[in-house]
Amino acid sequence: MKNEKMKWTDIGVVAFMYIICAVFYYKTVHLNEEIQSYPKFTVILLFGLTTMYLVQMLLAAKRNGVESGVDKVFKDFQPAQFFVSLAAVVAYVLLINVLGFYIATALFLIGLLLYLKVPYLATAITVAVILALVYFAFAKFLGVKLPKGLLLKMLK
Amino acid sequence: MLETLGLMGAGFLNALTPLNLLMMAAGVSMGIVIGCMPGLSAAMGVALMLPLTFTMKAETGLIVLGAIYCGAIFGGSISAILIHTPGTPASAATAIEGYQMTLRGKAGKALFTACYASFWGGLLSCISLYFFAPLLGRLTLKFMSAEYFWLSIFGLTIIAGVAGKSLLKGLMSGALGLLISTIGMDPLYGYDRFTFGVDYLSDGINVTAALIGLFSMSQVFILAEKKIVERAQATKFTDKMSLSRDERKLIRPTIVRSWLIGNLVGILPGAGASIACFLGYNTSRQFSKHKEAFGHGSIEGVAGSEAANNAVTGGSLIPTLTLGIPGESVTAVLMGGLIIQGLTPGPELFGKYAPMTYTFFAGFVLVQFFMLGIGLLGCRGFAQISRLSDAILIPCVSVLCVIGSYAIHRNMVDVYIMLIFGVLGYLMRKLDLNTAAVVLALILGPIGEKNLLKALTISEGSIGILFQSVVSWVLIVLCVVGILSPIFMAKMEKKAEAEASGIDPDDDDGVVDIEIDND
Repeated sequence: MKNEKMKWTDIGVVAFMYIICAVFYYKTVHLNEEIQSYPKFTVILLFGLTTMYLVQMLLAAKRNGVESGVDKVFKDFQPAQFFVSLAAVVAYVLLINVLGFYIATALFLIGLLLYLKVPYLATAITVAVILALVYFAFAKFLGVKLPKGLLLKMLK
Repeated sequence: MLETLGLMGAGFLNALTPLNLLMMAAGVSMGIVIGCMPGLSAAMGVALMLPLTFTMKAETGLIVLGAIYCGAIFGGSISAILIHTPGTPASAATAIEGYQMTLRGKAGKALFTACYASFWGGLLSCISLYFFAPLLGRLTLKFMSAEYFWLSIFGLTIIAGVAGKSLLKGLMSGALGLLISTIGMDPLYGYDRFTFGVDYLSDGINVTAALIGLFSMSQVFILAEKKIVERAQATKFTDKMSLSRDERKLIRPTIVRSWLIGNLVGILPGAGASIACFLGYNTSRQFSKHKEAFGHGSIEGVAGSEAANNAVTGGSLIPTLTLGIPGESVTAVLMGGLIIQGLTPGPELFGKYAPMTYTFFAGFVLVQFFMLGIGLLGCRGFAQISRLSDAILIPCVSVLCVIGSYAIHRNMVDVYIMLIFGVLGYLMRKLDLNTAAVVLALILGPIGEKNLLKALTISEGSIGILFQSVVSWVLIVLCVVGILSPIFMAKMEKKAEAEASGIDPDDDDGVVDIEIDND
């Protein structure tokens, strides 16, 4: 700890916490007065701890200097793979209501598995296993009614 | 006494129903699969399977979660022994001797030792669960609102402080969780807070969806950012999976010592199986009559590590079930499961719900036998599963996260919440913030707030009520200890790791040369 430098990535952490504090504080003062005290306490607690961390960082900067931190945080980071996977998950979640759960899941699995260079046979087996698992464990065993999707409703 | 024995007996009878036995076998198998795959953690597995237990009876649901927990802790040893990559951090010390045994053509013996020691470690840990949990549960009968408030604060200080690299970051994570837990209806007056115009948020953030996001979805993003590489080929072993009578005799004292260590570590909130395995390993080396075998494939080393990490399981359930303070992230998820079933940790579990609790305890005992049987019979198969590529895990776990969070209330809003928490969890893990502290704050925050407001209502607004009883003061002292304990814990873990790898603990560059893939 005593040899640690201040990292720029931690400035991001501090900024994020301060933004959260500001948003919640703004919302708190607009709440009914009777219920303001506990949320205010938690905002002040987060603000106080964040400020203590900021001071600790500044002291570290004074003692040992500053480093980026990005290289450590994102070591071996694969941007294309990460953002495609993230986008695929977001698209999948958004498409469930449109295409229905099974179609959206099958498309998501096939698309992402192939993008991640999984061989065709392994892709086919994975899709079949996951869809069967979802059907038997959730739809049959738990009785979860999965979204059918707008598309199917429109076709009907 | 007779009443307790009756409850214990009835618990075994209830746990022995075909459905419960089937669920134990399924849970253990699932746990071992999750545990042996580097990249997946026990907490993630339990969080993913949580929605599957909603429609089950409380005891059956808890047995399944307990089985996944035990299975995952043992499962980590399979990849540790065969591919030198611990499936979970709890098996990091096992890799040291286990892989050496594999290199010497004794993989079967190493796996048998791991399974045998895990079984005894887990089974013996149930003893303390049976005896200490009800005692501690009865103690909480004396707790009033003020004490419950301090108890929730104690739980937060412990996990926020211990589980991360930086104490302040851990506490910040806890405070962030507390703030998020205020979203929803005020517990006293019923006014909406911070719902941002979304009616669904009036009931607050769904803890299960948040759990799945923070533990499971975030892991998907962690896997997705790394280059996908083919895992090392699991060593095909031809030696017999067994131990001779002399070898069993040799590891017996080691197992007993590691059980005591693991159990104690488990009971201490904040300390987990990853610390216990190194402590168990080091102690086995210190007491061994064959010190020369260490570093070259010692069965005592494997037994010491594995008995200790599995002994944590029963121990860590004690503070979770009695005080509502989960010892580590897996038990935090388990506690979430308990609350979802409408149960509150504390005396009620040993009074009104005693039959359910003792059925769970009995199930936990039986789970150890399933772990032994399935572990021994399925080792070769599980070894192959441990090679499953991240390219397959990423989409599959994503689908399970989505369906799991949807199944909670059959509502897409929970899926969106899960996804938001997934991204938040990913960023938090990248920036060394503590996701377990957020989860714990989400669980303990409302309990603390409700009891604080209750206490203040009773005292007509005077905060003096929070400092009136001796128990409150004991808990305040424990909170201070909780905040300071990370310094002690970090030193203990560093020392144990360094001793295990023969590195000077004061050397900052000392690194244990084992690849650990996940949190």
